[in-house]
Amino acid sequence: MHGSETQLASTVIFGLNPMWYAAILFILTYVVIMTERINRAIVSLLAAGLMIFGGVLNQEAAVRGVDFNTIGLLIGMMVIVAITRQSGVFQYVAIWSAKKVNASPWGILAMLSVVTAVVSALLDNVTTVLLIVPVALLITEELKVKAYPYLFSMIVFSNIGGTATLIGDPPNIMIGSAVGLTFNDFVVNLAPVVAVVIAATLVPVYVIWGRNLKAAAEDRQRVMDFNEREAITDPALLKKCLAVIGVVVLSFVFARSLGLEAATIGLFGAAALLLLQCWPHNADEQSKLVTHAFTEAEWITIFFFVGLFIVVHGLDSTGALKLLADHLLALTGGDLTATAMTILWSSAVLSAFVDNIPFVATMIPLIKAMAPTFGGPEGLMPLWWALSLGACLGGNGTLIGASANLVVAGFAERAGQPIRFVPFLLMAFPMMLMSVAICTVYLYWRYL
Amino acid sequence: MTAKTLMNPNPMTLSPSDTVAIAADRILQHHLRHLPVVDAQGHYLGTFSVYSLLKLTLPKAVLDKHGLDNVSFVTEHVAHLAQRFGGRRDEPVTNWLNIHEVAHPETPAMEIMLLMLHGRTTSVPVVNKENGRLEGIVSFWDVLEKVRGENA
Repeated sequence: MHGSETQLASTVIFGLNPMWYAAILFILTYVVIMTERINRAIVSLLAAGLMIFGGVLNQEAAVRGVDFNTIGLLIGMMVIVAITRQSGVFQYVAIWSAKKVNASPWGILAMLSVVTAVVSALLDNVTTVLLIVPVALLITEELKVKAYPYLFSMIVFSNIGGTATLIGDPPNIMIGSAVGLTFNDFVVNLAPVVAVVIAATLVPVYVIWGRNLKAAAEDRQRVMDFNEREAITDPALLKKCLAVIGVVVLSFVFARSLGLEAATIGLFGAAALLLLQCWPHNADEQSKLVTHAFTEAEWITIFFFVGLFIVVHGLDSTGALKLLADHLLALTGGDLTATAMTILWSSAVLSAFVDNIPFVATMIPLIKAMAPTFGGPEGLMPLWWALSLGACLGGNGTLIGASANLVVAGFAERAGQPIRFVPFLLMAFPMMLMSVAICTVYLYWRYL
Repeated sequence: MTAKTLMNPNPMTLSPSDTVAIAADRILQHHLRHLPVVDAQGHYLGTFSVYSLLKLTLPKAVLDKHGLDNVSFVTEHVAHLAQRFGGRRDEPVTNWLNIHEVAHPETPAMEIMLLMLHGRTTSVPVVNKENGRLEGIVSFWDVLEKVRGENA
């Protein structure tokens, strides 16, 4: 998404003003995505096509709108995770952490919350909960305690943890890529406040559930008898995975001095891991392994991004987002503090109800358009952190706030301990507001 | 040859209110693998099978469709498995039904054999298309007996 380098037509299909056409199409796209009646990838790709058919963009301009750095990084990380998850390492960590606290129910709740947050910071949130929730369910079943507090916490802490790094949550990947922020920038600027939010969120979790959880000594012994080493299904593969992930993370850390962009690192890491996994096998086995790794990537998300980038680029190229940015600046009087707070809180509340990916995709060009008011791109930094914190943490507001929430709700439903929309909202929304309040103080203290 | 000619028209069945304990007794006593469950009107509801019994002794976290596919880290004694099974003895069989592919009286023999092969099952319930009632059950043994009989 880069400004409006496109040659604009003065009118588009049916003699409409391009800005109106793009705006109406954009709003319709949002509405249809929100109804969830049609798969979001289909909606965004159709809308992208209509931007082109309508004459707002030609294909060349549309392709320029797609941020391939985001797409490449997403695919690279998805492939790496698809291979690594087979090794059983995440189950190992979950079981190990449960035993470290002598299988006490509150200890496990706190440990699994922190493990979820840390793993989420490195993997995407949906993958994290898919890996950790089954272990949590097994442990709660053995301890004969309710699974609800554990599942609730996995939702909340996966969203919190994902906020801390470049690769933890798609909004960060998008912001990092569009603004040229590195892995380190995210860790240095966001991880401190995320650590505070984790600690602060554990307090209500303890008060509401933790202090009342009890398990019989005999049931705790059953968990203590788990042999976490057996969770590692493929030690040789695990070593390869850890080596590649180590190199990938180091490359992220030194990305700026190496002059590397995120997609290069992610995709090269994926290719290297595929090589390590495949080379001992014959051609037939290799194509099976590669097919498996590629199939595991979430293509719905990828194509959703592609379509969305084109739609937002179309809208941006008509100048509509610049206009919106000017209005927003007029409202905040061009004051940086007021603008940052508006972005933080509105992102949080909106992301609680709508998908944060299209929201962030729209906000990025909008915030970029504010650069002249705040003395160039450098002056926008607090706004990027506000957007990231709001959009990522806002996902905790409701059960539909993030896709990981719905995945956990699915587990809960099938386990016969359903998480309902309103009870979740009553607990999670205040916790989300608390986390955003912490971020408000942090942003104010550090940047404003 | 169709399902109608192959099937046992009077199979042993369970009613929806029967408990897991009753079903387990019948399965173990008669060495049956599958017991169809039918309501008072004779409608087929599903099958309680040896796989249902296996599931009963496993933690729910393992049975979930996104559940753990490796549980070799759990070291349980038979007593624990028995305990879990004991806790579920009084549940109705309907909580643990397997929904198998069914045949109809007019389904050809070859299709039934394919259903057995793909469904990894040794018997196929035969259900009336119009009213959903159970008409009988075709077992692996019925088919094999017939096949061997033709060659004998």
